[in-house]
Amino acid sequence: MTHPAVELDGIWKRFPGVIANAGAGLTVRPGTVHAVLGENGAGKTTLMNCLAGVYRPDEGHVRIDGQEMRFSAPADALAAGIGMVHQEFRLVPTFTVAENVVLGAAPRVLDRAEIERQVGELAVRFGFDAEPDRPVWQLSMGERQRVEILKALWRNARVLILDEPTAVLTPQEAVELGEVLRRMVADGRSVIFISHKLDEVVSFCDEATVLRGGETVAASIPVADVDAAELARLMVGDVAVEPVPVAVAMPGDAALTVDNLSVRDARGLLAVDGVSLEVRSGEIVGIAGVAGNGQRALTDAIAGLERVESGTVTVMRTDVTNAPPQRRFSAGLAYVPEDRLGVGLAPKLPVTENAVMREYRTLRRGPLLNWSTAREFCDRIVEQFDVKVGKREAPLAGLSGGNLQRLLLGRELSGMPDIVVASQPTRGLDVAGVRAIQRLIVQQRDEGTGVLMVSEDLDELLSLADRILVMNAGRFVGEFNAREATRTQIGEAMMGTAAEAQS
Amino acid sequence: MKRLILRRREEAVRGGQPLAFFAGLVFALIMGAVLLTISGDPVFDTYQRMWDRSFGTADTLSATFNRAVPLALAGLAVSIAATMGLWNIGAEGQIMFGATAATLVGRVGADWPSPILIVAMLIGAALGGALWALGPGLAKAEIGVSEIITTLMLNEVAVRLIVYLQTGPWKDPDGFGFPQITAKPEGSQLGIIWERSHLGVLVALAVIAGFAWFVNRSVWGYELRIAGASAKTAAFAGISMRKKVLGVLVLSGAVAGFAGGIELTGTAARLNENISNGFGFAGIIVAALALMRPSGVALVAVFFGAVQVGGQSIQTLGVSPAVAGILQALILFGAIGAAVLSTYQLAFIERKVVTT
Repeated sequence: MTHPAVELDGIWKRFPGVIANAGAGLTVRPGTVHAVLGENGAGKTTLMNCLAGVYRPDEGHVRIDGQEMRFSAPADALAAGIGMVHQEFRLVPTFTVAENVVLGAAPRVLDRAEIERQVGELAVRFGFDAEPDRPVWQLSMGERQRVEILKALWRNARVLILDEPTAVLTPQEAVELGEVLRRMVADGRSVIFISHKLDEVVSFCDEATVLRGGETVAASIPVADVDAAELARLMVGDVAVEPVPVAVAMPGDAALTVDNLSVRDARGLLAVDGVSLEVRSGEIVGIAGVAGNGQRALTDAIAGLERVESGTVTVMRTDVTNAPPQRRFSAGLAYVPEDRLGVGLAPKLPVTENAVMREYRTLRRGPLLNWSTAREFCDRIVEQFDVKVGKREAPLAGLSGGNLQRLLLGRELSGMPDIVVASQPTRGLDVAGVRAIQRLIVQQRDEGTGVLMVSEDLDELLSLADRILVMNAGRFVGEFNAREATRTQIGEAMMGTAAEAQS
Repeated sequence: MKRLILRRREEAVRGGQPLAFFAGLVFALIMGAVLLTISGDPVFDTYQRMWDRSFGTADTLSATFNRAVPLALAGLAVSIAATMGLWNIGAEGQIMFGATAATLVGRVGADWPSPILIVAMLIGAALGGALWALGPGLAKAEIGVSEIITTLMLNEVAVRLIVYLQTGPWKDPDGFGFPQITAKPEGSQLGIIWERSHLGVLVALAVIAGFAWFVNRSVWGYELRIAGASAKTAAFAGISMRKKVLGVLVLSGAVAGFAGGIELTGTAARLNENISNGFGFAGIIVAALALMRPSGVALVAVFFGAVQVGGQSIQTLGVSPAVAGILQALILFGAIGAAVLSTYQLAFIERKVVTT
């Protein structure tokens, strides 16, 4: 019996506040393209980093060709034949293709012409039309990716991990990549293909493993036997944890109005493309969609963290389109950003300093801050929202994910908002944490606050929201009554397949 | 094949910093002993001399304190910029221009009462340093020009400016044609408080303590911590990164300029292009050794000042300047390198030979 090329077994990896992998496993047969599927935050990248030696797993086994391995550094994994192409390329722009390929693994005597010839041969063998003497800065993203793949092949990688490889490719380049992968497996190598794009998985891959919430929910299913809808169901899950009880909504007046809003991303492309929505007092409006379809730009623009290209944002009849974040907060807008530790909180600062981030301007005493009032303010949030903290003076980073989120949500709710915008508020939390946050959100709605909630967890939206808007490529492509909609309807709209039918 | 790598510790060693500091110091002294033996210098006598001339007597200790003053203030300036992740490589030039501004004040107010003159000169020095950092601050805040490059380049400009002044407009008429700037007015000399230590020692301590207190308690300091944590968090809290970047670089420059003022009123007889004497660059090392914490710069500066003073003193024993320099470097490297080891550890890893 031949051993699997890669076998990951019971991998646990915990980060401050988040459990990224909770006993995840993966088995890859030699000579196959194996898809690792899952939503953002499902633990795909972490699991792959454990395999590639970037992280050391807290628990679990890594076996390569049946041999137990313990990697301390990426170099160890590479020596064992595991190569990884990360989402951000690691190339020297001023070096040529050949120089980048051999960097760190060059023969003792560096004969430029000889190396260019060898790299060229390697490229041809795997079906690239590479020009080894071109500097990397002249290359397109797709060509750079091929240089990364060549780097791994040069180091004789038997298993190649590609982390969301098609994200930077044009459709034509994606097709070419598929052909390269075929040649690699024909050569007896294995490819691990990380993605959340289902159509690619179906066309490129032999088998698929699906991760959800850091666990493996389906292992090595032959792709030929399932369709995209089945994979989507596995990715988003179908059994909700005991839903938080939700009463019938009694919506009132508009708390948040977004009119024809457009936002450009860092590359100048329209991340949000003429979107309009209204959230009334006492209702929860959910936004569903595959990650990266403009949800973050939309909520950031509403909260004042992203510049608005055109359109307006109105909170309780106050136009806040160009107002700074703190003015929006006093106008009644609370925001729970997707990236809690990087945007909403400062993990290295003490609990107190994080708690007063919204209110500190009112705690001035001349040039000084009234710290005793600040501490009282912090204590009220900690008590009211049941945040488990050690010392108020200790850095926030020591708190668990659930407690971090309770503190953040508590701080945002302390201003008695009229509208709460919450992005992925329960992602990465354990079951108890999820329920606590969901309860708080529903409680806010029942008290007459409007809630706009972005989530990639369809079950969460279906159980909490009153209405669900589906976002695809920066636009809303469907609106559903959450009481009547089915997962399939929303899932199809998310994938963009129903876009034409809806609009 | 076994290989040695440096790996980040999962948890920093408790109280590791001071422990590692002393361990590194001992290691450096042992290495230094080897070096001195090779160069044929008496190990014990050399170390004895270093100790005597830096800490050994009230006289030398008070001189070490004087030396520590500009080092501590320059270190504070660098660490202030570092709270926002900025590198002020221009403390050297800011010290020089601060001293130049203080000299200007001294020329205008030469006959003012001494306390008023000194205070005016020190304020002038701080404003001068702030002005020298204003350009880099604006360029960084408005269009993102690297402050490392701009502050560094302005160092050279400050040198040229002083050379111009001493050969041109401020040339000493009583200097027998020698290109030097007129000596500072008599009333501008800082008083002596203990042995050779001048009042600047207390002033520097007060500035460092005052700054630490203000950053801890003030709204400005709170906003600075948020802005230093992450630009996105700062945006969330409604804090303008532009204003903070500009404010921090200008303040950093003001502190360095103030150091120049203290150096002029405390130690120097007149302004010249060596007034800063490398303090601005040494301040970067002081700040790094103090782990960029303003509260730590005073202690580190005294240590650094002692190494400098002690290192120079052994040359009178016949130790060559090169060996003395290496010895100083060893001690500083030993202490810094060891501090790194309290957050990193050496580990052996198994490594297969790659065959292609």
